[in-house]
Amino acid sequence: MRRFLVLLLIVTVAGFSAFAQNQPTKLTLWTFQELHLAFYSAAVKAWNTQNPGKQIDLDGQVFPYADMHNKLLVAVQSGVGAPDIADIEISKFPNFLQGNIGLVPLNDVIDPFRDKFVQARLAIYAKDGKNYGLPFHVGASVMYYNMDIMKAAGVNIDKIESWDDYVKAGQQVVAKTGKPMVTVETTDQWSYWPLIAEQKSDFFDPKGKVWLDNPTNVKTLQFLQDLVYKYKIAVTAPGGFHHSEQYYGAMNSGSFGSIWMPMWYMGRFTDYMPDLAGKIAIRPMPRWTKGGFRSAGMGGTGTAVLTQSQHIDLAKKFLFFAKGSKQGNIMIWQVLGFDPPRWDVWADPAMSAPNKFTEYFQNGDGAFKMLLAVKDEIYPVTLTAQTPDLTDMVRNNIMVQVIQDRSKTPEQALKEAADQLRK
Amino acid sequence: MRSLRTAESRVNALFFLIFLVLCLAFLFPIYSLLLASFRPGRDLMRFGITVKTLIPDNLSLKYLASLLTARAGAYTVWYRNSLILVVMQTGLSLFFSSLVGYGLAVYEFKGRRLLFSLVLLVLVVPIQILILPLYSLLIFFKSMNTFWGIVAPFVVSPFAVFFFRQYAIGIPTDFIDAGRIDGLREGGIFFRVIAPLMKPAFGAMAILTALQSWNNFLWPLIVLRTGDMFTLPIGLASLLSPYGNNYDMLISGSLMATLPILIVFFIFQRYFIAGLTTGGIKG
Amino acid sequence: MRRSIGSARFSPYLFVLPFIVTFLVFYLYPLVSTVIMSFQEIVPGQTHWIGTLNYERLLNPFMYTAIWNSFRYTVFTILILIPIPVLLAVMLNRPGNPANVVFRGAMFLPTLVSVVVAGTIIRLLFAGSPAAIVNTILHPLGIKPTDWLLGGSASAMTLLVGMAMWRWTGVNIVYFMSGLQSIPRDLYEAADIDGASAWYKLFRVTVPLLKPTIIFVTTISVFGGFAMFEESYILWAGQSGGGSPNNVGLTMVGYIYLKGFQGGALGLGSAIGMILLAIVLGVSFLVLNLFGFFKRDEA
Repeated sequence: MRRFLVLLLIVTVAGFSAFAQNQPTKLTLWTFQELHLAFYSAAVKAWNTQNPGKQIDLDGQVFPYADMHNKLLVAVQSGVGAPDIADIEISKFPNFLQGNIGLVPLNDVIDPFRDKFVQARLAIYAKDGKNYGLPFHVGASVMYYNMDIMKAAGVNIDKIESWDDYVKAGQQVVAKTGKPMVTVETTDQWSYWPLIAEQKSDFFDPKGKVWLDNPTNVKTLQFLQDLVYKYKIAVTAPGGFHHSEQYYGAMNSGSFGSIWMPMWYMGRFTDYMPDLAGKIAIRPMPRWTKGGFRSAGMGGTGTAVLTQSQHIDLAKKFLFFAKGSKQGNIMIWQVLGFDPPRWDVWADPAMSAPNKFTEYFQNGDGAFKMLLAVKDEIYPVTLTAQTPDLTDMVRNNIMVQVIQDRSKTPEQALKEAADQLRK
Repeated sequence: MRSLRTAESRVNALFFLIFLVLCLAFLFPIYSLLLASFRPGRDLMRFGITVKTLIPDNLSLKYLASLLTARAGAYTVWYRNSLILVVMQTGLSLFFSSLVGYGLAVYEFKGRRLLFSLVLLVLVVPIQILILPLYSLLIFFKSMNTFWGIVAPFVVSPFAVFFFRQYAIGIPTDFIDAGRIDGLREGGIFFRVIAPLMKPAFGAMAILTALQSWNNFLWPLIVLRTGDMFTLPIGLASLLSPYGNNYDMLISGSLMATLPILIVFFIFQRYFIAGLTTGGIKG
Repeated sequence: MRRSIGSARFSPYLFVLPFIVTFLVFYLYPLVSTVIMSFQEIVPGQTHWIGTLNYERLLNPFMYTAIWNSFRYTVFTILILIPIPVLLAVMLNRPGNPANVVFRGAMFLPTLVSVVVAGTIIRLLFAGSPAAIVNTILHPLGIKPTDWLLGGSASAMTLLVGMAMWRWTGVNIVYFMSGLQSIPRDLYEAADIDGASAWYKLFRVTVPLLKPTIIFVTTISVFGGFAMFEESYILWAGQSGGGSPNNVGLTMVGYIYLKGFQGGALGLGSAIGMILLAIVLGVSFLVLNLFGFFKRDEA
């Protein structure tokens, strides 16, 4: 009798565990960008096909940018309510590296392939040698030209080498078409940051000290102001930044000649500005000096696994599959139009295969050839615990004060903000 | 005599005109929302409400209809959550606040004056000052992202306590005496004798509490963390995102969230007014 | 009206117990807690005592802007939302006009709209494009199309105060009308007999007797004005920085939210809360004094 019961017990337990293993594990994921969610859904499908024994049921939630980071921080601090996986934008990431870190180190899944990544992009999400976030992309900044306007003005974009050339071309565009050459963001940092990075400058120096008000930065901010008021080739972005509905609406109706944004902005064109399909060409940004850099690694989302997760191992493996594997990196390009962080993937033929991005942009299939050309001209940015506060100041105060209101000179605005941070 | 009447009727006419204009101005934004719900949300966010939006032609019902299906039915979830919360909050608040108001009105006991002053204090000093420590408390009680977390700190509404107290004071003590003669205990007197007499008070407070609960924003914003628990205001606010895509839901959803209150108001107008006034302006 | 109950000595305490409990747990404890937290620095898992460092850190332009914005908002809302509704209430109180109930109801409707919906409507009406309604109306008056949300401090305050006017005029009218009804008719009749003009009646009879109501509405307006946050949050929700450009819409509670919730600095946020409380109590005290609330008054 006893032996029978023991057998029954073993069979039942085995049966349950087998059953449990075949049930998909539910993983919750938080993000602030609806486009990312599409990517994760595709990644989960691929994972489930390849891992029948470890099915995942992904519950993805999208929150507004500031709100999501808020909620996540609260969850980490309070010890409850965090998802399994979360996208954390680069300028908010340092907030999560304070005190007892609520993110899981990913070194063990990264190490076998560590040297295949663009190192700078791993470093920004790491602390004390531990990697806490996986990047989406390199974020190479490029120039997008509206070719209809360029043709109407008689501008040859391949002749634009330096920023001086760009200004001259801009004046030609304004004179011949009456349209501004470009827009400058007043409530975000993508007009400013890449320009100083091109000159090997940054908000913080490589040692982490506040560098916001150094002479290069002052000169560059003045340049941006001059674009609007002195050379008169630029206007402030409608809605304040290049992700506002007002900007999409205006750009979509052909109001502006160009825009400089990172490569990940390609998805915004395809999804929000359909009328420009076939009219946009991508080129490297102008350079400041002969032989100077023509790009910068801008923005980024470090996706992390939270220590509160009940399925840390599975989450880590899935996350690496989605963003760290070769297949995942190719999908990053195909679904999102991002420049993936594994350089060993860039020469893969899949990267120039037709997809919605190659069809939209005039040189879409040559985008990666262009990227390979500038890949050594990308200066790494330095992040510190003060990055969130500093970028808030750039977005909320400095740009508005200098470019829009002109209530402060570049030197004043930068110095004031820097002094605030140095307190 | 006649000149007085004509002068008065002229003044009346002038006032009528003034108020007509004012009312149109006050109702105009709501009218715009109504029409905007029949237009594509994306255009509205890009260019705002334009004159074209307001001319009632080329309207489409599909934006309202999409509320049921957009984002896997998230809007219906928010609606349901708001309804649940209204019932919870109104029921609990009426129950507890009436008890406290009655107690303060009818009994003389040590500390009564102090307690009443504390009620006034809570009524007047805004909760916004306490959101941070309340939020720590929430974590401590493990009530993050729960309806109880939203409701618990506010089960006793000082406004309602004030109102019930005022109302109870106006009830003749004969009723209480009669109840005692009938052998009822104090609690019984309240539930069986006085409460039925306070029906108008309950009505007014129910309406006002329901309104406040339906529109509640700040505290639920802090408490609620996941989309499946969002109430309507929180859910709608979450659509105001630069990386979002659901503007139809935002605008049509705003209309559908407002219509119920407007309807309730038209039916129960006097309860609203009664609740706000009899409450005690006489300081 | 009230009787002291000998037999049921415990009942009163049972009746008021719910309030005592919630007051202690959800009001007094958080209040004390906030005072203590304001002297601490709190990161996940670690709390340090840092004395007055938080308060020193608050000597910064963000804080000054927040105080200034909250202050201006309160002053404007009181200046507009007391005299005008009083006047309108008096006008609506004239007997024999059935339309008055309709008017009162119509002006009250905006109060019923949630702050989220109100903010969304305002954003759409005041959108920056030249075709948006407000810009279209103002154009023939000589005002260029403005981006109201991004147009600087004055346009931001216009939006906020405009929104307040829209939402709260109706409620204030209701309050004042109820206060008016407690003014005895014979006072007006006596004034009429003496040949008083309408203005005399307004300023010498109505306003003084409305004083309790005016004091009440002013007090809640002071508290409401300084504590304003939701309107500001909604109007600038979705800006990439998570706030208004150059802090034109930043209020004190907004700063608490920014630092305490968004930035995770609970100690600093508590310090801001303390300062807010001090300011609000101080201003209310001044206002009440101004009204002679603390004097032995007659009427």
